Amino acid sequence: HIAFHRGCTSLQSHQQCMSCVDGVLGGEDYNHDNINQWTANIVEQSLTHLVKLGKAYKYIVTCAVVQKSAYGFHTASSCFWDTTADGTCTVRWENRTMNCVVNVFAIAIVL
Amino acid sequence: MMMSDIAKDRAARSWKKRGSVSSLSSHEFQRREIHGRTKDSVSTVSYMDEPSQRDDVSRLTVQMENTYQLGPPKHFPVVTVNHILKDVLTNYLQEEEYEPELCRQMTKTIAEVIKAQVKDLVIPRYKLIVIVHIGQLNSQSILIGSRCLWDPKSDTFSSYVFRNSSLFALADVYAVYLE
Repeated sequence: HIAFHRGCTSLQSHQQCMSCVDGVLGGEDYNHDNINQWTANIVEQSLTHLVKLGKAYKYIVTCAVVQKSAYGFHTASSCFWDTTADGTCTVRWENRTMNCVVNVFAIAIVL
Repeated sequence: MMMSDIAKDRAARSWKKRGSVSSLSSHEFQRREIHGRTKDSVSTVSYMDEPSQRDDVSRLTVQMENTYQLGPPKHFPVVTVNHILKDVLTNYLQEEEYEPELCRQMTKTIAEVIKAQVKDLVIPRYKLIVIVHIGQLNSQSILIGSRCLWDPKSDTFSSYVFRNSSLFALADVYAVYLE
């Protein structure tokens, strides 16, 4: 995957997010009562890890968790930004009962 | 080798201005359909319009002058954008039934349309991120959440959910101030 900018690779953030999702959802089945908690955990942990990378970016992290069913789901995103400095990264994770899509958008702060 | 680098640099410089190069990525989960044709398959199609590779070493950086502004002179109009989202979603989806192909195209189109309309508001120094989710409405459960790390005085977001008898659509616009 192509680097965001200035050495911050989206590969790193991809791996971070993947491990966050695994940590929270790994081994769990879809459960309506916990889903709120899980989404909050995933997003907060991802954000904390991204901040620890210590780069000058603003972050937006989105997480969608869908129960596996016979029904379809689409997402698309369109961005108006500086393509040389800003970037995005998406993590798709699934298990037997659910699908999870985590989007990270990183917007450069010009210091 | 040299020639292609120069060509790439030229291309990169022409894209450098904060322009509307759209990066579209759409992720689609195709489930077991009612007639049992496709089994649990995950098809992910990512379209990324990236102008060129990032060769930071050879690139000339543009030096900006100080504006001495501490905050945005014109704030992002959340209410206006809410109306835009509501109008676009209602116009495009009021009569539609859920169909995989249609909705795949529709998600991308709607994202582009919303972005164009919000750009028309001409709010200077704001970067935009538009996210659209469309799903079939039935008894499955879905939860979508987001967290942002930004400056709450200048950055904001706007969102709208649309439902009809067979589908639901969620549109989000995040506006980030360029400091």
